[in-house]
Amino acid sequence: MTTPEQSEGDRSRDELLAGEYVLGVLSLADRERVAARIARDRAFAAIVARWQDNLASFNDDYDEVRPPPGVYSKIETRLFPHTTFAQELIATGRWWNSLLLWRGVALGSLAVLITYVALDTGWIGGRPQSPPLIAELAGEGNSISLVAAYDVADGRLRVTPVAAGAADQHSLELWLVPGGDDPAISLGVLPQTGEGTVEIPANLRPRLSEGVTLAVSLEPFGGSPTGKATGPVIAVGQTRRSN
Amino acid sequence: MATDTEIAELIGRVALRDRAGLAALYAAVSPKLFSVCLRILKDRADAEDALQEIFVKIWQRADRFAASGASPLGWLVAVARNQAIDLMRARKPVADSIDETWDVADAARDPETAAVLKGEGKRIDRCMEELESERASAVRSAYVEGLSYQELADRHGVPLNTVRTWLRRSLLKLRECLDR
Repeated sequence: MTTPEQSEGDRSRDELLAGEYVLGVLSLADRERVAARIARDRAFAAIVARWQDNLASFNDDYDEVRPPPGVYSKIETRLFPHTTFAQELIATGRWWNSLLLWRGVALGSLAVLITYVALDTGWIGGRPQSPPLIAELAGEGNSISLVAAYDVADGRLRVTPVAAGAADQHSLELWLVPGGDDPAISLGVLPQTGEGTVEIPANLRPRLSEGVTLAVSLEPFGGSPTGKATGPVIAVGQTRRSN
Repeated sequence: MATDTEIAELIGRVALRDRAGLAALYAAVSPKLFSVCLRILKDRADAEDALQEIFVKIWQRADRFAASGASPLGWLVAVARNQAIDLMRARKPVADSIDETWDVADAARDPETAAVLKGEGKRIDRCMEELESERASAVRSAYVEGLSYQELADRHGVPLNTVRTWLRRSLLKLRECLDR
């Protein structure tokens, strides 16, 4: 049991230590002790957050300095060691409208590489009873990759990211591939912004389950005119449970 | 520089494991965070290594941002400063100063305190003006450059204990002023 006086003393000591931590003057061992306390004590964490907020105007002293090229690709390699993901194009920001990319897609091999990425959290979150289905779709030999996540609860398929350049000429259309001799069923045209959500028609929702194949084809703007895939399939992958 | 809303949205995309979102966030804020690394570490190679670590942490912790109540850029700069300062202290160790009993007994506080303390958003400039100029400058350079007490003492040509007393009194004065 702490007396009010002790408690008051603890509070100003905490206040000071939080301030010293945010300033950065403490030793490494002391910083680690403070960080451990932040992780387990919400009230103390709030004191630290308040100092951070109070001192944030000092952040104006940090002028912007562009880091050298190549740092971002190292970050991607560390975070996603098993996939290639148009690293250079993304790092330079040109991938969205890259003609080379589209030429690569059109001429590239149709052989596909299916890569599963272990995601350590749910995509949509907050619905542990029905983990979303995900598939990562990648075309071998070209720099396109996208992830599809299907939320069983609301019937929405979230596709991200998609290289959607050349919007005036082409659309990316998403297909459910039933297998056997059955033709692919269109699930809709991906939004031209390059990522987004496709609402799955109610009659097709029961068919989206674990292990089904999704594919993306390159179609005339607005989607396939015939209802069947007419352009090259640029990416394909199977759904699986994300956790 | 992107707006707060744009940065917050990008952090949200990163929390959803959106790799293009991470690339866009990097494009938007890496110059600011790289500057933080350079000011604190004062070495380009170290700063580049730290920047990598920072974005790995941002990827891992983006889901905590929403609950933090912090400004988006403030949250990112805090991640960057903590990483850079930890690296600096590991390179050039300084004496510990927290006494052993501090974190043994956590004072039980009303959980609501946390909500009351959060997000008051007061600016500190007015309160800094109430400090003696040399002490205000010590506070600011400790923060911006991540200086240790020893480095501050060397820079101001005063004993270590003196600078520690300066800084602690300054912090208490600032807190008192901010609470007014």
